[in-house]
Amino acid sequence: MNEISRQGIDKFIDNAKNIIDTFTGSFLRSGKPTSDRSRAAVMFNNFFLHVQGVKTHMNTLRPSYTLGMGLAAFFLFVIACVSGVLLMIYYNPSIENAYNTVKDLTYVVFAGKLARNIHKWAGEAMIIFVFLHMARVFYTGSYKSGREFNWVIGIVLLAVTFVVNLSGYILPWDQLSYWALVITSNIMQSPKELTDSLGITQYFDIGGFQKELFLGGLTPGKESLTRVYLFHIMLLPLVLLIFIAVHFWRIRKDGGLTKPEAFQPQESDAQLFSTPDKKGGIFTTNKTYGLMELAGGRTPAVDKDVENTVLSWPNLLLAEAAVLFVCLAAVVVYSFFIDAPLKELANPLIPENPAKAPWYFLGLQELLSYSAFMGGVGLPTLALLGLALIPYLDREQDNVGIWFSSKMGKSVALQSFFTGIVVLIGLLAAAIRFGWLRNWLPNIPQLIITIVNPGSIWVAFVIGWSLFVIKKTGSTRMGAIALFTMFLMSYIVLTYVGTELRGPNWGFYWSRSQWPSH
Amino acid sequence: MRNRFYLMTLFISGVILCAFTLFTAYREMQPEWKDYQNDYKELLIKDTRDEAAKKKARALEVAIQQVYLSKLKRIDRCTSCHIGVENPLAANAKEPFRQHSGEYLKNHELNKFGCTVCHYGQGRAMNKKEAHGIGHDTHWDYPIIPMKYIQSTCAQCHNLEMLKLKGVDRVVKGEKLFGENGCRGCHKLQGIGGDLGKALDIVGSQPIAYFPMGNVIGERTVYSWFKQHFDDPRALVPESEMKVHVTEAEADLLTTYILSLRSEEMPREYRRFKDTAGTERTMEDGEALYKKYCIACHAKGKDSLYDELFNRTVPAIMNPAFLKVADDGYLKKVVGEGRDGTQMTAWKAAAAGLSEQEINKIVEYLTSERPKVRVEPFAMASAKGDLKNGEGLYRVRCALCHGETGKGALGLNLRNPVVQGADANFLAITVRDGREGTPMPPFGKKGVGLKDQEIVDVVSYVKTLSKKK
Amino acid sequence: MSSAIVDDKERLSRRDFIGLASLGAVVLSSLSLLAGIFRMTRANVHYEEATKFKIGKIDNFPAGTVRKLDGRGVFIFASDEGIHAISSVCTHLGCIVSKTETGFQCPCHGSRYNESGKVIAGPAPRSLAWLEISQDVDGSLVVDAAKDVPAGTKYKFYA
Repeated sequence: MNEISRQGIDKFIDNAKNIIDTFTGSFLRSGKPTSDRSRAAVMFNNFFLHVQGVKTHMNTLRPSYTLGMGLAAFFLFVIACVSGVLLMIYYNPSIENAYNTVKDLTYVVFAGKLARNIHKWAGEAMIIFVFLHMARVFYTGSYKSGREFNWVIGIVLLAVTFVVNLSGYILPWDQLSYWALVITSNIMQSPKELTDSLGITQYFDIGGFQKELFLGGLTPGKESLTRVYLFHIMLLPLVLLIFIAVHFWRIRKDGGLTKPEAFQPQESDAQLFSTPDKKGGIFTTNKTYGLMELAGGRTPAVDKDVENTVLSWPNLLLAEAAVLFVCLAAVVVYSFFIDAPLKELANPLIPENPAKAPWYFLGLQELLSYSAFMGGVGLPTLALLGLALIPYLDREQDNVGIWFSSKMGKSVALQSFFTGIVVLIGLLAAAIRFGWLRNWLPNIPQLIITIVNPGSIWVAFVIGWSLFVIKKTGSTRMGAIALFTMFLMSYIVLTYVGTELRGPNWGFYWSRSQWPSH
Repeated sequence: MRNRFYLMTLFISGVILCAFTLFTAYREMQPEWKDYQNDYKELLIKDTRDEAAKKKARALEVAIQQVYLSKLKRIDRCTSCHIGVENPLAANAKEPFRQHSGEYLKNHELNKFGCTVCHYGQGRAMNKKEAHGIGHDTHWDYPIIPMKYIQSTCAQCHNLEMLKLKGVDRVVKGEKLFGENGCRGCHKLQGIGGDLGKALDIVGSQPIAYFPMGNVIGERTVYSWFKQHFDDPRALVPESEMKVHVTEAEADLLTTYILSLRSEEMPREYRRFKDTAGTERTMEDGEALYKKYCIACHAKGKDSLYDELFNRTVPAIMNPAFLKVADDGYLKKVVGEGRDGTQMTAWKAAAAGLSEQEINKIVEYLTSERPKVRVEPFAMASAKGDLKNGEGLYRVRCALCHGETGKGALGLNLRNPVVQGADANFLAITVRDGREGTPMPPFGKKGVGLKDQEIVDVVSYVKTLSKKK
Repeated sequence: MSSAIVDDKERLSRRDFIGLASLGAVVLSSLSLLAGIFRMTRANVHYEEATKFKIGKIDNFPAGTVRKLDGRGVFIFASDEGIHAISSVCTHLGCIVSKTETGFQCPCHGSRYNESGKVIAGPAPRSLAWLEISQDVDGSLVVDAAKDVPAGTKYKFYA
C-alpha cells in the first residue's frame, strides 16, 4: 500500500476511534465545566441556558428573597405539559367518548390515575404559585427600575393561566365540567346585562356574540368541547410559552432580579466568589466580542467583576434544580394520595345545584351573584387593568429589593389588610343578611343595580382607601401596597365565601352539612 | 451554607420522588383483580385431581379480561375478577369465582352480551367498589341490580308475550298490577294518561339525581327509590298526592315493571320478539278501562270520598242517585273535558289521549247500574231566579259545605265549567233530591222543604259563582 | 498553609458526598420517572374484538366441512384426521383470499396458494398461517387468530 492510501486509511481509522469524543464535543463545545472559564462558557454557549446570565447576583440565590415562587410556577407548567401530553395518548375529545376515556385512564392505563392527578394538581398549584410569585414581585418592589413591562407580561400570564386551567376542567365532560361550561358561557354573555339596561342589545350584542363564539353554537355541546380542547392543548400553551419566553428574556435584559441597595454577602458565601484568573476578570484580550445591546444605566465596572455576583454554573442551576425537584416530589406525593374528582356523566337535564365554577373562579362567581356585568366583565377588567397599571402609577424608585419597602410599608400592609377584611366581610354579611336594593325597591332599574352592588362598592372602597393612603403618607408606593394587599385579601376571602359558604341556589350556609340533601 | 442547603433539598426531594415512583409502580402491578385471578388459579389447581387440568390451570395467564361490545357501546371487564363465570368446574366455588347460574349463558353468550346489559354496574371499572357502583362516591347511577329486580332487564330485548311464554313473568305481573291500579290516571305512558304525576316512559333509565333521595332508607339507589315510593309515596315525596295500596310483593313486581321502562333501544340483532298481532291498542272493555284510568281516585265510585291529599271531595260517579239525574251526555262531557280547578283530568284525545270510543265505553260501564226509575223532572226549570234571594239562601244552606265562594271543601267545587255549564234542570233536581251515599242532603220536599221558586233562586245564584272573585 | 489545605480538603469531601448523593437521587428519580412514562405509553387493553373467538362445538364440524368465517378472517376445515384453521388473510398486503378448487386465490395482486396454504404464485412472501384451535371448558372450540401453529397441525376434539 502506498504512502498516500495509508495516510488516508490512518486518518479514517483515527476519526472512527475518536468518534464519541468528537461527536459530543461538537455540541458540548465548552468542554467540562471544571474551571471558572469553562463554567462561564457553558452558560454562554448553550442555547437553553444562555437566557440566564453567566453570573448571578447573590441576592437572587437567597431562598428567603424569592422563595422560588416564579420558578415553581414555571416548573409546574412544565410538569403539567408533560403529564398533559401523556394524557393525550388516551383521551378522546368527543362528547361520546371523553368521559369513558378519562375513566379508562384511571382504570386500565398504567399509572394513568397518577398522571391525571399530577396534571390536575400541577395545573391548579400553578395558579396558587403564580399568585404568590406576583405577590413576591410586588412586595419587593420588583416592578420598578426598568421592569415595568415585565410586570404587565406577568399579568397577562396570570390571566392566561386561569383560562388554561378552566379549559382543562371542561374536558372530562362530567357533571362538574358541563355545568362549569354553562356558567362560563353565561359569564361570556354578561355584557348583555349592560347592553340590555341601555337598550342597545339589538344593535350591539357583544355578550351574545362572545357566548356563541365560545360555544360554537347556542348551547354547550360537541362544538364547544372541540373548541375548548383546541384552547387547552394548543392555543393557550403556545401563548403561555411565548409570553414566558419573553418574560425570561426581559428578566435578563432588565439586569436580572432586583436586589436591595444595601446588600451584604454572608461570610459563608465568600468562597463562592470566583477569583478572576487574570487581571481584568475572566475576559481576556484574545477573545472576540459581539455587540449585544446598547443599554442605559450603570455599566458593569471595567477591570473589576460585577459586585457580589457568583458564577451561574453551578450555583444558579443548583437552586433551580432544587426548586424543580421539590415541585416534582410535592406534586407526585400529593397525586399519589389525593384523586382528581370525577362525577357522573354530563347530563344537560340535571343541573348541579349549586352549579359552581372551579375554585379559582368562585370569587368571581360570588361577585357575579350581585351583578352579571360587574362580576363577569366590569370588576375583573378593572382588577387586571389596575394591577397592570401599578408600575406606571407608582414610579418611586427607592427601597427596591426590600420586602414591604420599609417599616411604614409593613404597617400600611397590615392596616390595609385588617381594614379591608372588616369592610369586605361587613359588606358581604349585610348583603347576605338583608338582601340588596331589589328587595326594597322591586322596580329599580337594572342599571342602578349594575352600578351599585357589593362588588362595585368594594372596588370603590379599595380605590378610595388607596388614594387616602397616598395622601396620608405622601407616597404612591404606600398607596400601591394598600391597593395590592386589599386585592389579594379580597381574592382569598371571596374565593373562600364562594367555595365554603355558598350552597344550593347560591344560598348562604355556614357549612356543607347544612345543605338540604338532594 | 447556601449550596449545601440546595443540595440537601435536592437530595431529599430526589429520594422522596424515587420512593413514590416505586410505590406507584408497586401499586400498579398489584391491583385488586390480580389477587382474585391468582386465588382462582389456586382454587382450580387444588380442586382437580386430573393432571391435564392442573397443567391447564397453571398455564392460565393473569391479565385484564374484557368483553368489547361495539354494538352495545360498552366494555365489560367484570370477568377480570369474576373469572370463573363460564367454567363448569367452578359451579360450587365461592364468589367471585362461581360459574353463572342457570342456562343463561347458553343463549346469551358472554362475548356477545357482556354482563352489564343485564346486571348493570360499571363495566369499565377495575375494582370491586366502583365496578359494583354502590355508594354515592362511585358517582354511578346504575349499581348492580338486586336479583329480585333483574327480570326488568329482560324486557329490553324481549317483549312481554315472549317472557310470559318462557315463564319469566315478573315484568308481566308488574305490568298487570300497573294496569289494575289506575296508575295511568295520573301518569302518562306513551302519551296517554293523566298529568298529575310525571310521565313514565323512560323513568327506568333516569339518573339518581332525577329522584329526591333525601328520605330513602338504606342504599340511595333508583331501585330502592321505586320500591319505597310504592310502599308509601309520601315517605319519599311529602307533597305527593299519589294513591297506591299494594303489598310488599306487589311493590317489588311493580318496581320490576317500572325499571323496564327505559330509553335506550337495543340494536335489532339483539332483540327477540314473539310475533304480536300488530301494535294498535286492542280495545279493552269499559271495566278494564275504568280500572286503568279511574279507579285510583274514584275507587268503587259508589260513595263520594273526602280525599285528604286533594283537600276536596272526589265525586261518587257510580252513585245511583247521581246516575239517576246525570245523563250520558253530561257524563261524557265531564270525562272528556275534566273539571278545571280540580284533579279531574280532561281525558279527551287532544288532552290525556283517550279516544271517543274509549270514553263511551267508560261511560257505558259507569251507567251499567243506572237505576231504571226515572227521576221526577223539575217543573220550574226555565223560571227566572231572584239572585238576591238566592244568595241569601246559599249563604245559609250551602256555604257550609260548598264554601263561601263556591270553591268547595266537604262539598264539590261549584265554580268549575262543568257545573257552571250544566243544565239548570240537573242542578235543580240535585238540590231538590240530594245525593244518596254522599253528604249532600235533599233540600226539597224530602228535606228542609225549599219551595221550587227558592230552588230556582239558588240555582241561578250558583250559576253566577264563577264570575265572582 | 497546610491547615488551610486540610480544611479545604475536608470541606470539599463533605460537599462532594452530598453532591454525589443528590446527583444520584436526581438521576435515579429521573430514570424511574422516564421508565414510568414509557411504560404508560403501552396500552393494557385493546379497543378491539378479542383475537380469540368461539366457533361452536365439534359436532358442528362433521368431516368434509369447508367453512369460511366472514368477519373473522379464517377458513375452518374438518376431515377424518381432525379440524384445522387456515388464516384467510393474504400475507402480501392483507386482502382476504377466496377459496378455489385447488387452494386459495387473492383478488388484490394475484397471489395463489395450494390446499395447505403454501404460496405457489404471486408476490406473497409467506404461506397462509395455520391457527391454533383449543377447546374451552364448556366444550366450544376456540380459534386464536394471534397464535400461529406449524402448517399441517390438525386437532382432534371430543364433545
